[in-house]
Amino acid sequence: MTTSPAEADTDVVHAQRPRPRRGVSLMDAGPPIALVVLFGVFAAMSPGFRTFSNVQNVLDAAAVLAVVTCGISFVLMMGSIDLSAPGIMGASAITVALLVANNRNDNDLGLVGVLVAVLVAAALGCLSGLALVVLKVPSFMATLGVSAVGLGVATLMFAGVQPNISDAMLEGWAVERFLGLARLTWIALACVIAAWLVQRYTRLGRYAFAIGGAEEVLALSGVRVAPYKVAVFTMAGAFYGLAGVMVTSQLGAGLVQAGRGFDFSAITAAVVGGTLLIGGRGGILQSTVGVLLVTVLTNGLVQVGVSPYWQGGVQGLIVVAAVAAAVIPQRRRNQVTK
Amino acid sequence: MSTPVLAQPAPDAPVVHRPTVGQRLTSFMPVIALVVLLAALTIADPGFLTLSSLTAAVRTAAPLIVLAAGATVVVLCGGIDLSIAALCSLATVFFALWLPDLGGATTLAIIAATGAIGALQGVVHVLLRIPSFIVTLGGMSIFAAIALVISDAGPIPLSDRDSTKWLTLYVAGVLPMAFVVALVLVAVVSLVLKLTPLESWVRATGYSESAARLGGAPVDLVKIGAFTLSGACAGLAAVMLVSRNFSGSPTMADNLLLPAVAAIVVGGTAITGGHGSLWRSLAGALVVTLLRVGLPIVGVPSAYEQILYGAIIVAAVALTLDRSKVLIIK
Amino acid sequence: MTTDLQTDPGPRAPGSPAALEVRGLVKHYPGVKALDGVDLVVRQHEVLGLAGENGAGKSTLLKALVGLVRPDAGEIWVRGEKVRLRSIMDAADHGIGMVFQEQSLVPNLTAAENIVLGSEGPGVRRGVYRWRTMRALAQEQLDKIGSHIDPLARTDTLSFADRQMVEIAKVLRIEERTSHPPVIILDEPTSVLESKEIDTLFTQVRRLREFASVVFVSHRLDEVLDVCDRVAVLRGGQSVGEVPAEGAAPAELHRMMIGSTGADDHYHDSAAERSDEPRRPRLEVRGLSGKTFRDVDLDVHAGEIVGIVGVHGSGREDVCRALFGAEPTTAGEVVLDGKKLELSGTRAACAAGVGYVPAERKTEGMVGPMSVADNMTLTKQQARCSGPVVRPRKQASLVDGWIERLSIRTPHRGTAIQRLSGGNQQKVVLARWLVAGDVRLLLLDHPTRGLDIGARSEVYRLMRELANSGVATVLLADSLEEAIGMSDRIIVMSDGRATKEVAAPAGGKPTPLDLVKEMV
Repeated sequence: MTTSPAEADTDVVHAQRPRPRRGVSLMDAGPPIALVVLFGVFAAMSPGFRTFSNVQNVLDAAAVLAVVTCGISFVLMMGSIDLSAPGIMGASAITVALLVANNRNDNDLGLVGVLVAVLVAAALGCLSGLALVVLKVPSFMATLGVSAVGLGVATLMFAGVQPNISDAMLEGWAVERFLGLARLTWIALACVIAAWLVQRYTRLGRYAFAIGGAEEVLALSGVRVAPYKVAVFTMAGAFYGLAGVMVTSQLGAGLVQAGRGFDFSAITAAVVGGTLLIGGRGGILQSTVGVLLVTVLTNGLVQVGVSPYWQGGVQGLIVVAAVAAAVIPQRRRNQVTK
Repeated sequence: MSTPVLAQPAPDAPVVHRPTVGQRLTSFMPVIALVVLLAALTIADPGFLTLSSLTAAVRTAAPLIVLAAGATVVVLCGGIDLSIAALCSLATVFFALWLPDLGGATTLAIIAATGAIGALQGVVHVLLRIPSFIVTLGGMSIFAAIALVISDAGPIPLSDRDSTKWLTLYVAGVLPMAFVVALVLVAVVSLVLKLTPLESWVRATGYSESAARLGGAPVDLVKIGAFTLSGACAGLAAVMLVSRNFSGSPTMADNLLLPAVAAIVVGGTAITGGHGSLWRSLAGALVVTLLRVGLPIVGVPSAYEQILYGAIIVAAVALTLDRSKVLIIK
Repeated sequence: MTTDLQTDPGPRAPGSPAALEVRGLVKHYPGVKALDGVDLVVRQHEVLGLAGENGAGKSTLLKALVGLVRPDAGEIWVRGEKVRLRSIMDAADHGIGMVFQEQSLVPNLTAAENIVLGSEGPGVRRGVYRWRTMRALAQEQLDKIGSHIDPLARTDTLSFADRQMVEIAKVLRIEERTSHPPVIILDEPTSVLESKEIDTLFTQVRRLREFASVVFVSHRLDEVLDVCDRVAVLRGGQSVGEVPAEGAAPAELHRMMIGSTGADDHYHDSAAERSDEPRRPRLEVRGLSGKTFRDVDLDVHAGEIVGIVGVHGSGREDVCRALFGAEPTTAGEVVLDGKKLELSGTRAACAAGVGYVPAERKTEGMVGPMSVADNMTLTKQQARCSGPVVRPRKQASLVDGWIERLSIRTPHRGTAIQRLSGGNQQKVVLARWLVAGDVRLLLLDHPTRGLDIGARSEVYRLMRELANSGVATVLLADSLEEAIGMSDRIIVMSDGRATKEVAAPAGGKPTPLDLVKEMV
């Protein structure tokens, strides 16, 4: 019976978490509908687009981005951000190129080389996570730093001579087809399924989701979130590492720039697929739809005669538009935006 | 549906303010780093501390100082501008393309154009309430695309080298003009901030946006202004780059983003906003440049440069971060 | 109907054995004694009500019981064993769990996950979820309280009442940790529920009594008496007594809560000479509507302090913010001194001579790391400038003048405001609106929150001084007594509407009970 039942000290301003509305179906259904519409529009505009071989192309072109997006989705789900893909992919691309049969040394480790490259990448990802939870560096800064470290490591190993691979298996990934699709595409599909299983059936995946939803509640329930955050960044690093290997397989050589632009494309794909940057929403399947959207858009624009240089610009526009579309309904006055 | 229980400061805790060793260290960090670096380089190579090498170093540092100075204001407001390097590259292309038509007015036109582009990003950030790093990340990608398209992905040589010749002159025979311009820029912006209510508004916005807004500070305008300045500085840096390379190219400044961010955080400006200054970024830019120039001198392959940037950024942010402000770090 | 002071916790009170016992608990916060020797006994299989005014220490006590606050002195005994509770998990291990006022569920997880969160047990094997087990575990908990919620529904798709059930089911998981009956604390569980939902909740509470002890905290005394067996009352961080619920009346409880002194008069206006001839009010609000309030009419005359009272969720804070342009409005008109006041933003309000002191001083009221001087001149920059240029000397003399006038205790005007005590911080925040001498309407949202008594009375005096100088003031007070003591007139708000106006002139003050009747 007081004028202000909320006790003075419990009434602390905290970031208001927009209550997800019940009928969120539009947000869930939007991206797939957009994908179908976009596909229809390009098919109508360009005869070259609607060929079977072009559909194959789109799927194959989506493979690497899909793997990167698998990793970044978990990070975004937590409400963090990850800009480390270019560096980590570069490091893993050079690592794998130097470990399988190549023109620089006598290594011929095959699949073990791939594994090592993925582990190196996971270690770099782990570094981002540690910088976040131990040093409390905001993730976008920590991952920017780790990306630079990855590029540096890659440059060191590159040592001025491009390692061309001659490993039959790795080269075959990009070339050999199974049921009409390149092996890389099947690998990407396997990654998506694996990531989806992680998201749905493991504590790591569910907690990543919960951290984005209400991190403070987890702490109140006695869950230590720090190890899960590190684990998520490590897992994301592993996905980037595999993506770096895939790029090496496509190019037939290890390049420092193997991951250039993938951080941004992956964020675009995830956001377009319906992942909120504040975390707690979205998922692997949504992000995969986003990957297809981005790839169809890229491919379609080229097919209708738009310069491929515009690719990044279009992504920049749609990421801002997608974030705005998600944010505008929840705008408040006096809201703090950093 | 969230519980503030953990996020609750003890009611009315007296803030015992004793600067920690870390805080003391960070407040002098850029100067200490500068002196230590100079000393180390001189020991490693006694021939380093000569007028000509120092002149060369500050000349190289000039565009970096300008880029970092502009972005510092955004960081002081609590945001981040990741688009500066891409915008700078785009501006070099614009410069090369516009020079034949505009002649002597090109420099001003470039600065005005990039300022307007920066303002646009600010407006998008403020009106749509999109986090600044997403807006500028998007901007980065868009500017790079525009630069690629209009330059056809290649360098464009200058039609007339005289228009930028003034930037390559030396004041009193030793001080490179570009560096002087950078110094003047830092001094003028710092003074304007200091002498007007702007500094108060900028810091209030960076430290506590809601308190600033409820205190009647023009938060939105201040932020847009910061992005405008950041854009204009990218334009000026572009003119400096063009004056040295005699061409514009769509990727010319791309590798300056990391050094610029490093310069800001090494200078001791807190990434959480409010605390810091342009002078700090100036010192930070000099540190970064010395590292770059100095690594080969002490026999470290330049490939380590990137690793160093990464480590510096993480370490400097960790040292300068205002942890009391962010309860949950994403 | 005993109101005897329970000073000696010593031998157990009669009846069933004590499940939880608190002896002489003390917790200091700087400047405030939140708990000043609280004694409390919770018996097994009883529902104990906990009542107390705002600031009586309820919150701190509850947090100490679940390990979120560590007391400076005193003991907590659980079933005859002295315990130290360091964390919420510690408390759970001793069988104490709490349903928080702000619900503590993860909105994007399923109900089942929330129920078992942090103690999944067999629900997760080697990091892999076993959804079926998880569901069964959750169902088991929901069955205990007879709830029919689908355990696999996403929590944010459930109604508020259902979420509360999930929360209770979650708290009951602590039964898995101890073999003893648990102690469940419900903190303001009814504040957002509708009456039918409240009935369901009460049924649950009575059911809980069968196998647990319950501590029930609510500001609605009729509810407390309805559902509890016994009610303990806190005042000023001390336990002042307890009554058996049966046969007790809310008024009696309320008297214990506010003490015998009644409303202390903060009305410092000795010469209240106001012309009675009708004049146009300085502030006229007509039909103001927003998200949480509708059709609010409000008049405030120059020199008048109008208090707005209402329970949590009455919308009065939002009205206050809306008048300052910090909260959007959907309809209505506001006129200040005959001129329409644009509610477009805080800048416009400041320029029109409206000042606002937010409730959250630390996050919204002040810019902590900035100096006293810069905080004081943040809004009225013109007061320290000539043209666009800041005059440090002008600022210094201005600020020093106000530091002296308001006797703000600070080492220097350049000291960071966060190093000052709360009362002095608040005086700087208030001074912000005064430096230019153009403030016409002052909106004070809990201006004395978290301040000690000395600082409070200084703020009261300042408010009255300002009013006497002609400023119109809207006050959202920290307590009813404060509202009654300070205001000339009191508006009661309930469910977003201004429902009643009560005159409160010096010498003719209403009692808190008069207002409470209107509020609930």
